[in-house]
Amino acid sequence: MSANISGRRVADIERAPDSSVTTAPVRTASPVVGPPPRRRLRQTLEAYALLTPSLLGFVLFLVAPIIGVVVISFFDWNLMGSPRFVGLANYREMTGDSEVWRSVRNTLYYVALNIPAQTVLALLLALAMNRGLRGGKVLRVLFVLPWMAMPVALGIIWSWAFDPEHGAVNQFLSLLGVSGPEWLSSTTWAMPVLASINVWQYTGYTMLFLLAGLQAIPESLYEAADIDGVTGLQRFFRITLPLLRPSMLFVLVTNVIGSFQMFDTVYVMTQGGPNGSTDTMNFHIYQQAFQLFRTGYASALAMLLFALILLVTAVQFLYFRKRTVYDFS
Amino acid sequence: MRTHRTIATAFGRTGLYVVLIAGALLSIGPYLMILNASFKRPQDLLTTDAWAPARHATFDNFTAVWNQYGMSSFLLHTLLVSVAVTLGQVVFSAMGAYAFARLEFPGRDLLFWGYIATMMVPQMITLVPLFLMMRELGLVDTFAGLILPTVFGTPYGIFLVRQHFRTIPSDLEAAARIDGASTWTILVRIMLPLSKPILATLATITFINTWNNLIWPLIITNSDRTKVITVGIAALQGQHVSDLPHIVLAGAALALLPLIAVFLMFQRHIVRSIALTGLK
Repeated sequence: MSANISGRRVADIERAPDSSVTTAPVRTASPVVGPPPRRRLRQTLEAYALLTPSLLGFVLFLVAPIIGVVVISFFDWNLMGSPRFVGLANYREMTGDSEVWRSVRNTLYYVALNIPAQTVLALLLALAMNRGLRGGKVLRVLFVLPWMAMPVALGIIWSWAFDPEHGAVNQFLSLLGVSGPEWLSSTTWAMPVLASINVWQYTGYTMLFLLAGLQAIPESLYEAADIDGVTGLQRFFRITLPLLRPSMLFVLVTNVIGSFQMFDTVYVMTQGGPNGSTDTMNFHIYQQAFQLFRTGYASALAMLLFALILLVTAVQFLYFRKRTVYDFS
Repeated sequence: MRTHRTIATAFGRTGLYVVLIAGALLSIGPYLMILNASFKRPQDLLTTDAWAPARHATFDNFTAVWNQYGMSSFLLHTLLVSVAVTLGQVVFSAMGAYAFARLEFPGRDLLFWGYIATMMVPQMITLVPLFLMMRELGLVDTFAGLILPTVFGTPYGIFLVRQHFRTIPSDLEAAARIDGASTWTILVRIMLPLSKPILATLATITFINTWNNLIWPLIITNSDRTKVITVGIAALQGQHVSDLPHIVLAGAALALLPLIAVFLMFQRHIVRSIALTGLK
């Protein structure tokens, strides 16, 4: 019985995602408006009792480490001896470290290769899926399957597929009369290969969000457009794309943050090579911290990564805020 | 005119299907290739095409990787860690989410935005201090060290469940309160039964993320006593990808199968609920 009820509720939400349930501000949640003082105290105690485990984890394993990394970034420390305060020395060293800037360039390059391709493909896929095709549900599941792939386990298949001689990719290219490059041992191609693996993994997942966004656009808008004689491409650019902006913002922000932290594929497939061409920031920090044991320096690099992510995220929010229409009615 | 149009639409539709099915094959192709190749005999592996079906199918690769390369214990460790983290996250996230969704207490909004803000913090930032903390506690190379950082729930989990709790009408609770039900009773008897899909989603996502996690196990463990499957396969691949590819392939297949099973079991809920979190 209860399973039935909950199933129906989710279906309702799916159909009407712009209703107040998901947009309501934090304030409206209380079942009773202005509880009497005794009740209020009880609610506070109960709330903190319920929150105790998650607060414990939040403070100990998230907030404390975030503060910790800031502090450690001002120290010189190899994990063994005692830490030595060095002020801004780690940050100064960072500015002159060409390997660090290479890792920044590599990371930005990876994001630039990966995000546009993934977003455009996901959008096209979502548009196709939104036409209510027969078998759409099965296709949807198949498209999302790569999302849960363990990059380590798939590494062997990718290394294999991109093998210069026996690999499926070059065999296919040779059918077209093209002789493919030595993908993973080429400084030009190694990064695009890693980016395309990520596109493979996350396009279907991204499509899910965009599809939900598409389904939230009221049909009446398209009907009105039809009456005004608005053609297909105009419909897309004047109605669909503007109203998809909230979903687009969410997808871009979360995917960009994820891409900045890329680690697994580099670790298992290239170890940052060839010649440092796939040495991303996350991998570089890992090496500095846990292979070279330069804890203080790695912490300063982590701060750099955080600053970059904040900057890019802020830019996206500002860009979308100017242009987003939130009110659907 | 009209028939022209119908024919054009029919062509368009067929073309669309061709593209979509090709895309779907590309999505699952790598999985199928791993599965297929892991059944091939070593001598067939490099002499046959990657997409050619295993003609002399054999289980030898699986038995070898299971018995000789420690895969059984890696899988067991991974299962233990993933189940523990998943259970903890579901229970503690539901508790926390209820407080944020339904109770009024000082500091609620501030705390909630604090949770949301940390969702943006890259994981790498926390790893160095987390490692030092675990070292001070003597938890390096222990299961506790593997489990502790995520078992109490994540801001994402709390956010996901809270969003769902807020869609449940509060009159149900009000009625129960009049009947004298406690907060705990309301949470367990009313909220949780109405939230099975979202809890299944959180459980699946957590299980998959924990199962796939490479970087934290890489940092916090250093022996076979606690080695999980991601680290095991990465090591196997580093050592044997050229001389024993069939072993590495069988290991990869064993690591992926439980994930695929869990995903397919809960895919209906996940496909719905993932999209739900994106709509704000």
